[in-house]
Amino acid sequence: MSAYVFLAETLSGTYDVDPDAIHPQATLADLGLDSLTVVELLFDVEDELGITIPEGVTFQTLAEAAALMDDLVRNKGT
Amino acid sequence: MSGRRVFVTGLGLVSPHGEDPAKVFDQVCRGESAIRMVRSGTPELGADVLLATVDFEPGDRIANADRHFMARAAQMAVVATRNALVDADLLVDGRGPEEARVSIGCGLGGSEIFQQTYRTYFEKRSRRTRPRTVPLIMASGPASQVCMQFGIRGQANTYSVACASASVAIGEGFRAIRDGYCDVVVSGGAEAMLNDGTVAAWEAVGVIAREHADGAAASCRPFDLHRTGLVLGEGAATLILESEQRAAARGAEPIAEIVGFGASSDAFRLTEPSVEGQERAMRNALEDAGLGAEAVGYINAHATGTPAGDPVEIEAVKRVFGAASRQVAISSTKSMHGHLVGASGALECAITAMALRERRLPPTAHLTAPDPECDLDCVAGVGREAPDLEVALSNSFAFGGSNATLALRRA
Repeated sequence: MSAYVFLAETLSGTYDVDPDAIHPQATLADLGLDSLTVVELLFDVEDELGITIPEGVTFQTLAEAAALMDDLVRNKGT
Repeated sequence: MSGRRVFVTGLGLVSPHGEDPAKVFDQVCRGESAIRMVRSGTPELGADVLLATVDFEPGDRIANADRHFMARAAQMAVVATRNALVDADLLVDGRGPEEARVSIGCGLGGSEIFQQTYRTYFEKRSRRTRPRTVPLIMASGPASQVCMQFGIRGQANTYSVACASASVAIGEGFRAIRDGYCDVVVSGGAEAMLNDGTVAAWEAVGVIAREHADGAAASCRPFDLHRTGLVLGEGAATLILESEQRAAARGAEPIAEIVGFGASSDAFRLTEPSVEGQERAMRNALEDAGLGAEAVGYINAHATGTPAGDPVEIEAVKRVFGAASRQVAISSTKSMHGHLVGASGALECAITAMALRERRLPPTAHLTAPDPECDLDCVAGVGREAPDLEVALSNSFAFGGSNATLALRRA
């Protein structure tokens, strides 16, 4: 599963974000998530994709976040 | 102590007998037990345990995203409070009274979350635990979630006093209104600790009942010669408390009046009760209410069904009531709903309030061979009408020697 699909499904399925508000250019702030929910979401992603998001990494949009996560998946074990 | 009068104007339950207060009360009066044998624990370490579990499904009453950040006890507190606000006709567009206080008892908070965290740490050998762990394990989670879910902005207090938690929470809520600090309190208790680690620890204490020959449901037998111990339960109960003035102004129909609260500490032993400490809690409640013992027609006893505990409470009643101890009816509804620990005082206070309204006494179920040491009227087997019932007490006596008694009057 691509990181974007997982992000979108988790945002709507677990955190009740309106599916219509979820699009690649949306930021986590646009979606109204509080800080604890953002950290939980990143844990969800790490557990699902088997990656560790490095500290200090920043991203704005869901597309940027998904690209970063897909890169981490591709580079796993290398 | 005189002050403003305080009425119970709404009840909400999430109990082993279900959520509808009238149906729960009717089942309890008929002596129907919700206790059953449940397989608890992991496949390798599991055991069959007597429990009074709740078949709990919040459904759309709690949003998915919110539920993710609530332990089971908090979810139960939120649903019980929703039920109570609806019962009191105080839920408007999903919100409760903004100015209310919240006063909730809870013993162990999110104990199942502790268990999950320890599993991650010790079994998976990982320090990676969920960020939400911390706000979920807090004993104050239920009170905080009630505020957030219903937009309640008054002071929110959590009382963690083991088995007396909810009675203290209701008692302190009562005092806050009586003494003029506020006009409406969302009070009660919540407990959900029937996860395998916690259940195993309770078994180790040596106070858990063994299955009775008449079946699992009949295994908790307070005041009976053949009692073998308590049965753990879970759930939440919320009582809406309002000043007389506020209730009258909106035409609310009171279910019962809270007229006194008494508490005491044994300063004795951690798990052994003391006659003297329990006696003082009941005396303090009666003094607080300005009532003599002869006014009391019913006591919802703490009696959990342990061999050591029940006779101590009976002796304390005898000391407080003197000759009147032969007239008062005493029952332990734990024989049917089990011991809800931090929530037990709230469920039992709700049952006591309904007993006053209906003038009907719930029994001590399965009491067939009364212990000679428990030789008062313990309402054996099935409930009965009590046409003259005016005043009742609800007792909660905790591990650690913390005692609490609530005094209620028919409204």
